[in-house]
Amino acid sequence: MTGSGVLTRIEACIPALRRYAAALLRNRDDADDLVHDCLVRALDKLHTRRDDADVRAWLFAIMHNLFISQLRRAKARPAGESLDETHEAALSMRPDQENALQWRDLIRGLNALPVEQRSVILLVSVEDLSYADAATVLGVPIGTVMSRLARGRERLRQLTDEEAVRPVLRRVK
Amino acid sequence: MSDPALPIAEEDLHAWIDGQLEPGRQEAVLRYLQEQPDVARRVDAWRDQRDALRAALAAMATDPVPPRLKLDRLIQQRLEQRRLPWRAAASVLLAFGLGGVGGWFLRGGQVPPEATITLLAQQAVANHVVYTADRRRPTELGAQQRDDLARWVSNRLNHQVAPPDLSTDGYSYIGGRLAATPDGPAGLFMYDDPQGVRLTVFVLPLNAAASMPIQHVDFAHVDGCAWIDNGVGYTVVGKLPPPELRRIAELVRRQLG
Repeated sequence: MTGSGVLTRIEACIPALRRYAAALLRNRDDADDLVHDCLVRALDKLHTRRDDADVRAWLFAIMHNLFISQLRRAKARPAGESLDETHEAALSMRPDQENALQWRDLIRGLNALPVEQRSVILLVSVEDLSYADAATVLGVPIGTVMSRLARGRERLRQLTDEEAVRPVLRRVK
Repeated sequence: MSDPALPIAEEDLHAWIDGQLEPGRQEAVLRYLQEQPDVARRVDAWRDQRDALRAALAAMATDPVPPRLKLDRLIQQRLEQRRLPWRAAASVLLAFGLGGVGGWFLRGGQVPPEATITLLAQQAVANHVVYTADRRRPTELGAQQRDDLARWVSNRLNHQVAPPDLSTDGYSYIGGRLAATPDGPAGLFMYDDPQGVRLTVFVLPLNAAASMPIQHVDFAHVDGCAWIDNGVGYTVVGKLPPPELRRIAELVRRQLG
């Protein structure tokens, strides 16, 4: 395995890292800061990486650890308002989509989930990580990944159902 | 979980949605969903949710990557922060296992050409030191199999090359081999003079590398001359006085260029 091969594979992961970070942090600038720190850390640790380890899972794990320590630091500060611009970022790309409304509700629901459930849903559903890789990235057993995924999906289903139902109820009133 | 007789658990349903269900369970899950329409509706909703999330977030991954997240730029910044001269920087890269000369580092022409020459020569010297020290079996194919070696190396390098003839300078060809580098295979041709002093010619294709004139590179115990022509790096290595080495490098260049 060549060093240059690893760099090419890291580079190929950057768009997915940015998407995951933005959906997790609900803010694109913060997300790019996190991805930046993740890449710097990855370059620091490149020589300690096992050659056979999956580059994508390795990068997501580095980013997750940075995210967790960021959360811990943030707890010391008073909670700021979330900018909640994920759905705008996602939807501004395709303003003409018929699905735009459905997507907006979906992303709103996703943003309302606890971060543990949100990260599992994103890693598995959007980034296509295996359950085992998601467990490694998050540093939890596979069983925990599965239960967070199940709870998160069901909660998100209920949330989006409510969103869909509410305007109808209002009209009836 | 792989036993088809086991009852269906919620995790089977999610694994089915995510395409991570063990093959043996597939049929059991489908049967279960047919028997349980309420569960099947919920599973459909989860699957629709998964598809919609992927679609909604797909555009975020096609966004152009901003300059500050470009990997080559981050690497440049690291090297600059360390304030190393390029030769030292090149050895840091090698130590990190990043010693790619042609593949990645030259893309976009970000790396100063001197660093490319240094990285190229370092690989040539490493192979020179290892193989010329071997008195009994310094080469894979000897002088008699010159054509076989030329074919083999040309195939592996995807570049036509044959051992140059240095007999006019008093060096006879003793054989060659395929050498390993972080940039893939290289060709190594070995020669000696009547006193048994060995000299090697090293050939390494470097995709995008810009051409560089012949340069002298000195290492602890040997000297080299390295250059790049038409995307291929060449190095002549030996314990020779620099002017003599340079003359041989020019001879090689005329034959291989």
